[in-house]
Order: sequence, then structure tokens, then C-alpha cells
Amino acid sequence: MASDWKSFEPVLIPDIPNLEKIDVYEKNGGYESLKKVVTGNDWTPESVVNEVKAANIRGRGGAGFNAGLKWSFMPKPDGGPRYLACNGDESEPGTFKDRKIFEYNPHLFIEGALIAAYAMQITTIYVYVRGEYISWVKMMEKALQDARDKGYIGKNLFGTDYSVEFEITYGAGAYICGEETSMLESLEGKRGYPRVKPPFPAQKGLWGRPTTINNIETLANVPLVIKNGSDWFKGIGAENHPGPVLYGISGHVNRPGVYELPTGVPVMELINDVAQGIRGGKKLKALIPGGSSTPVLRADQLEGISMDSDSLREAGSMMGTAGMIVMDEDTDMVDALWRISHFYHHESCGQCTPCREGTGWAEKILLKIKNGDGEIRDLDLLLDLTTQMEGRTICALADAAAWPIRHTINRFRDEFEARCKKSVHAVA
Amino acid sequence: MPEIFIDGQRYEFEEGTDKGLLQFILDNGKEVPFFCYHPSMSAPANCRQCYVKVGTPVKNRETGEYELDENGEREIRWFPKMQTSCTMQMQDGMVVQTQETSKEVARAQKDTMELILVNHPLDCPICDQAGECPLQIQTYKYGPEGSRFEVKKVHKPKRVELGPRVTLDAERCINCTRCVRFTEEISETHQLTITSRGDKNYPTTAPGREFDDPYSMNTIDICPVGALTSTDFRFKARVWEMNQTPSIDVTNGKGTNIDIWTRDNLVLRITPRYNGEVNDHWMSDAGREAYRRFNENRISRPALKLDGDNQSKTSWNNAIETFAETLEAGKPEDVLVIGSAHASVEENYALMKIFNLWGVNNFKFAPHIIEGAGDDFLLTDDQAPNTEGVKLLGYEESSDLKSDIKDAKIVIMFSDELIDREVLSPDDLKGKFSILLSTNECDTSKAADLVIPVTCIAEHAASYVNVDGRIQRSFPAKETKYTHRSLDLEMSQGRLDRYGTNFDNWVTEDNKVDCAPAWEIMNRLADRLGLNVEFGSPRDIMNEIATSNPAFEDISYERMDNEMGVNLNPSNKKEATA
Repeated sequence: MASDWKSFEPVLIPDIPNLEKIDVYEKNGGYESLKKVVTGNDWTPESVVNEVKAANIRGRGGAGFNAGLKWSFMPKPDGGPRYLACNGDESEPGTFKDRKIFEYNPHLFIEGALIAAYAMQITTIYVYVRGEYISWVKMMEKALQDARDKGYIGKNLFGTDYSVEFEITYGAGAYICGEETSMLESLEGKRGYPRVKPPFPAQKGLWGRPTTINNIETLANVPLVIKNGSDWFKGIGAENHPGPVLYGISGHVNRPGVYELPTGVPVMELINDVAQGIRGGKKLKALIPGGSSTPVLRADQLEGISMDSDSLREAGSMMGTAGMIVMDEDTDMVDALWRISHFYHHESCGQCTPCREGTGWAEKILLKIKNGDGEIRDLDLLLDLTTQMEGRTICALADAAAWPIRHTINRFRDEFEARCKKSVHAVA
Repeated sequence: MPEIFIDGQRYEFEEGTDKGLLQFILDNGKEVPFFCYHPSMSAPANCRQCYVKVGTPVKNRETGEYELDENGEREIRWFPKMQTSCTMQMQDGMVVQTQETSKEVARAQKDTMELILVNHPLDCPICDQAGECPLQIQTYKYGPEGSRFEVKKVHKPKRVELGPRVTLDAERCINCTRCVRFTEEISETHQLTITSRGDKNYPTTAPGREFDDPYSMNTIDICPVGALTSTDFRFKARVWEMNQTPSIDVTNGKGTNIDIWTRDNLVLRITPRYNGEVNDHWMSDAGREAYRRFNENRISRPALKLDGDNQSKTSWNNAIETFAETLEAGKPEDVLVIGSAHASVEENYALMKIFNLWGVNNFKFAPHIIEGAGDDFLLTDDQAPNTEGVKLLGYEESSDLKSDIKDAKIVIMFSDELIDREVLSPDDLKGKFSILLSTNECDTSKAADLVIPVTCIAEHAASYVNVDGRIQRSFPAKETKYTHRSLDLEMSQGRLDRYGTNFDNWVTEDNKVDCAPAWEIMNRLADRLGLNVEFGSPRDIMNEIATSNPAFEDISYERMDNEMGVNLNPSNKKEATA
């Protein structure tokens, strides 16, 4: 599939003027998928779940879990409330793709969320949006109101027994609130602390009730699957990681931005063709493929690598959110790593010891190295510290902080050693 | 019964138990280090200290049989990551490795401890928690040797008075959130929260609010480091210098189990003692602050009004002589004995017995109830620790002591500040000979003609019946002029008692009150009056009560000790052993 990405026509953010307006969206087939599943005799909630499961939409929030499979974990309705929580709190450096959906095609997401809610027999949907996205929040509110006015949200959808409510909430700006269980805490009006799992949100989520959490982009794919079928979706992009993806390309490229393309596009083609190459004709030095937490890859590791989970795993990294950070030959990897570590130190919620203390300690050692006061043993200490953090906390923030440290040092060790104290270096 | 294997040892557990793995390990006498876990609160698993390695046996899906390896042992599928044992639920056949048998677990625990210590000030020499600090203790047992932390520590607020009784040193906080969870789950005042993020976070109150929860000081006990300290107790003593003696809170009717901490014969603090039937791990702040009564303003040496309203100190012989002469000069029917719900069962019994033998039959007591003072937790409307006990002994509850006292010519008051709490006025005692046996100077003691000092709960062994009818007992914690730690077998002994010299400990005679237990005073009075009775000890008195009063049948100090108190009701008898 990688070969025909150039002919791919965007479906998540298609080039249709004023698509954020509900009339335009409807004219282009909007809300037909919703109507089809809610009123159509061919569709039951179970069949919607199965279709999405068959399409293998892998979560676009970073973890990459099969969305339909996740939906199937919801227990059977017991008459009590159950929730869908839509995660639009994108805060990771390099990740800025959900806002494109909010801005250009909010109804696609709304329709996707409504279909998901119907499939899981959920009657309340919450959208959690990063507070800084205030203009997009306003657009979302308008879109929700339009959908409500048209009868797509509210009581007795299309004259059926199915009713659903939809609310938007915006966070006060903490990276951890994008972690799914912290987001639930925040939605409940509490401090954003990740919850211990089990119980998983499908068993005990918002206010102790069954809850499914999906990323905005994941849900935006749902109406397309219903409209075109799971086979159509599976025919796009990489076999094990299919579908369209919003690539957020930033860094030292000539044309940074959000691009909708299939999964599995060769990395170098994304950099050279889509983002039009490295700024100033410089050489590529490194790439962070999927948001700042995903392991950095050296330029010489990118040959033959495409943007899908299998290929990136083989190269020693991850797809994450497809938020690609491109670094040219002038990039100081010590400085870059210190900045990334500074971010994770700043954003650690402080609940678990390894993350709370490890992120701060790591940042301080990196600052020492950055300032030329580091010693070679500091690098080994940093690597040891990553083993003390990884897999030892409630959520994955410690992992997200540890991986960049480990991989950047391992993959650019010469640069770090060169920065360490000359005298010690000479002795070493 | 389902089974679980911990470090190669087989244990059985109850099916359907919601007890976590950590608690099960602790209950079975093994150890895994932990900080954030507390048995009475939710488990947030945030300290990440109680790691263990866990695996479950592989079962053949078709046969349901365990799959075996080449050695014939059960095939174990180990969890890919280590698990926090506090949140781990037990499963049949589960295999657990602690730090004792897994290097990986020991390393993880050491790693976590190193991380906890990086920003924790190493100020054990001045920290109030030193000597009873789980972090200090567990660092010695499981922590790293030395430090690799060579950068600047985080500095957080110090000496923050969160409320009237609790002072925070945020730098020491390891963010276990026990204090926050206490206000959320136990006292339910929600007064504390964590502020800021990452390694800058610490517990605090909402802006402009103070931590004045009536149970706020429990957070000091459960803080696993020295972050939350008692504003009152800070820097007063090191724990290893003090003696810890089990006792009962006497500030209300709940009968909260406590420990009295003494040094140089002064009570320096009171902490709760676990009793799942009464107070769990908790106690009220009011109960802790009551320790001052044991040290300050004590009635020491008897006093007698010789001229007008001026009391003068007198000798014990003279006091007993005066007491006896007063009784001999009057008639038994002129005597009113006012017992006390603030005093023990044994004291009230001794008083009643002696005066009964003397022919008195007018025994009253004035309950000390403040409507609305209680809550649904540990505070009760009843402000006295032994109302039920006094009633069961046969003292008549007085609803109007002022009129009850009118016809009496000799009024014997016992350990109750009747004038101070406006049950009586000084005028009510005019024209009568009033005798007070009590512990602390007060308006009531000022008004009495004869004042005889008696020991307080911190100085004697005695029992009290709480509002729920549970009898529990105290141990002597501090010496009087006539007692000595090494001679009184009921008295606890601390490190300095055992290993110190007089230069180290118990050298200040000033801190010893010249008082005696009420039953000893009754012995002397009985002897002087020629009554053929003598009490040997509080234990003997309780044995006597148990054989003479059906309500106390089968009650003994041994039972109270073994069962942490006994409910005085038809089921107070142990279930018959089959």
C-alpha cells in the first residue's frame, strides 16, 4: 500500500470547503452512517462492534489497540449509566493532529462518537479537550449544538428508543490528563492522577460505571468504516495497522504540518516528499516517529522503514501518535534530550515514586551534562535510572520519560560523551 | 481451601477474601516494605515500594489440570512486570516471590527506595520521626548503600502550620497521600489535597483554609516520614527516650485505646492504639491534647481548710484522721457519696464498698453529657469514660445534684469537677463538710474542705466501661511519690529503664505527684475506722467485682488484656469451648 499513498484522497480531513458546517457535512453524506446503524435493520449494536473490530482500527492515541476489541470489553447494559469518554487532550510534544479534526471536520468525530455510543449502548458522551485549544473548543461546541438542533444528539434519535447526550469538557492543561484514567479523574472534577488497573475503565470508569475511552482520531474513522465497510478500511495502508492516519510532521522540514495519508508510508518519503525535505538543504540527523516519548531513530536507521507499528518496532521505535519530529544535522541531541526530559519532569503528576523522582533527577543530570559539567559515569547513571523508571509506575508517563533518555543516549552516545567534562573524558 | 505459595512456602487463604496480597503477607508474619498502603484505607499503589514477583499456574483448558514442567512441578506463567502487592488480589495457586527469594524484587525495592531518598532531606538527627520512621527503618533493611544523587535537592515549604495542631515539613513528604486519603475516607472532611506536580508536590489545604479537622493529628501517626508533625510535640523528645504504655482515652465515652508516652515522668504525647472493635487506628485530637492534665495543675499532697476559705497542705496522716473524725462525728445517713463517671470501676467500687460498710446508702453520680458534642465516629455526647461502669456498680444517676445534696451534711466528691461544670456551685457546699478525692486543681478542689489527691489514669491500673458497654483497662505510665517503675510490675519499662542509669532517666522528683490510688486511701480510711477490709491491688478489686456483681461476671484483667477489652453484656462470657 505504501506505493500508492500519493494517490490517496483524504477522508478524515478531505478538501471540502466549510465541512465544519453541518449542512455541508450532511450534503457530503454526513450522519448517514449514524442513521444507518441506529435505524437500519441490518445493524445491531453487536454488529457495529464486530464491523469496527474487523476493520482493525488501531487506536490513534498512541497505544494502538484494536478499537472494536476495546468496545467489546464493555459489560452488558444493566440499566445504569455507562459512558464514552473521547480523549482530545493531546499534549505530547510533536502531537497536534486532533485539532485538525476539531477544526476541519468536527462532525465526522461527533458522528463517530455517536456510532460508538450506540454500539456500546452508551447514553452519555464526554469529550475532553485540552484547555489551550479554546478556539477549537468553541468550534466543537458550535458543531455539537448544530448536531443537537438537527436531532442527531438528544432524545429518541431518528424516532427510535435510543437517546444520547454529548458534553464537552476542557482540561486546565496537564499532560497527565491525557492518560486515560487521569482523564477520567479530571472529568470527575478531581486532580489528574492515573488510576490503578485493574479495575479497567470498562468495568469501573467514570463514577464507577463502565466507560470506554477513545481518541478523537480513532472515533473519526468509525463513520468511514460503517459507510465503506471494514474491507475498504483494511485495504488502506499497512496490513496490520490499516487506515488513514493524520501525520503531524514538525521540526526541521520545509513544510511542517498535518497530513492525512495511509499508514505504512515510507518515512523518508514523508520527510522528503510530503514535508518537502530538510530545511536549508541540511542533512537529516534523527527522527522521533510518534510524539516525543517514542524512541528516537538515527537517520541511518530509517532506510526502508515505513510508518506502521510493525516496521517501526523492527527499527526500535513506535508509531505512537504519528507525530513525527524531524531533526537536522545541526541538532544538538544533548540539548534536545534535556528539553524532552524537562517536559516530562514538568508534567509528571508526582503520584508514583519512580516517575516523580526519576524524571527530576534525570533532568538535573542532563542539565549538568548540557552545561559541560557532566561526567561519563553520569551517562551510565542515566541509563540505570531509566531501568528504575520503566514499567514501575501506574501509568506510562515514566516509560515515556525513560525511553527518550535511553534511546537518545544509546543512539547518540558519542555526542553525549563529547559533551561530558573533558578532563574526565581524557582519563576515561 | 485455595492456596498460595510465597517464597516457596504454602499458605491457605479464605475464598472470596478481599484482602490484598500485601496484607496477607504481613498477617502471616512475613515482611514486604511499603509506605503508602494503610490497612484501613484504599490502596493507591503510588509509593511502588511493595513490589513482588507474581505468577499463576498454567492450566490445561480442556482437562482443567495444571500443566507440569519437566521436573513435575506446576508450570508457572510469570506476570511480565512486577506487581504492587498492596493492590494484588490473591488467586488459587498463585506463586509469589518477595525480596527474600527474588533478586529482581530486591533490586526493584532498592531502586524505589533510592528514588524516594533523592529529594528527601537526610535530617534524621533532627527529624521528629526519627526512631519510628518507616522510611528510616526500611532504608536500613532494604535501601541502597550510599547515594548517587549529586545534584541539588528540591526545596519545598518548611514549618507550615497547616492547622492548629499539625505542622508540615513538605521537603520530607514522599507523597504517599495517606494524609489526604485520611481526610477523604476516614474523617471525611476533605481538608487536605496534594498541590503542585512531580517532585514539587506536597499536601496542603485549600487557600485560606486551615486543617482543623477534629481528627487531624491522625495524619501525623500515619505519615510514614516526618512530613506531618505535631505542633505541640515537635522537638520535645526522641521516641527511644520515652516509655510507651497502653491506656484508654478518658476524654469521652468511646474508650479509644491509646498509648501514653512518658519521659522523665511527664506524659509528652498520646497516640492511638489499634483496636478494631473500638477505634481502629484512630483517635480524636481532643483525646491527644488531654495529656496536659496528667502533668499540669495536679493536686499534690492533701490539703485542708483550717481558717475560712484558705486551704493548707497537710500530711496524709492528718488528712486520713480528719476524714475519719468527720465521719465519726456525723451519722451515715448524713453522708452523700458522689461517685464519678470520670474515674475507674475499681476506684468507684472501693469508695462504694468502704462507705457501704460504714452504713452509708446514698450514692449518686452526675453524668457528664453534652448533647450534640458527639459525631458518628469517635466523639460521643458522653464526656466521661466510665458512665456505664458507675451505673453498673449501683451509683444512682442524679438529674439534679443541687437538690440531692441539700440534706447531706458530709459530702464526699470523687474525681469530678462538679463546680467547674456547673452541676454544683460553691454555695451548695456551704454549711457542709466537703471532701474531694481528685486529680487536678480546679474550682471544685478550691471549694472543698478536705482535698485528697488521687492517682490519674496515667498513674494506675484500672478499668473503664465505654458507651457501648465494653470494659477495657489502663496500665500505670508514670510514677507517683510512692511508686517506682522497676518495682511495679504493671508499669512499662523503656530502653533507659533497662539500660540507663539514674543520670539518664527518672531523676526529677519534681515530676512525681504526691498522690495515691483511691483504693489505697480507702484502705487507710478503713483501717482507721476499724473496718475489716483491705484491697490488695486493682487486679484483686476487679476479681472481687467479678464475683460479686453479675454485670461483671467472668471479667478479669487477663481477659481484658487478651481480648483487648470485653463487652459487658450477656455475651461477655467466652463462648463455651466445645
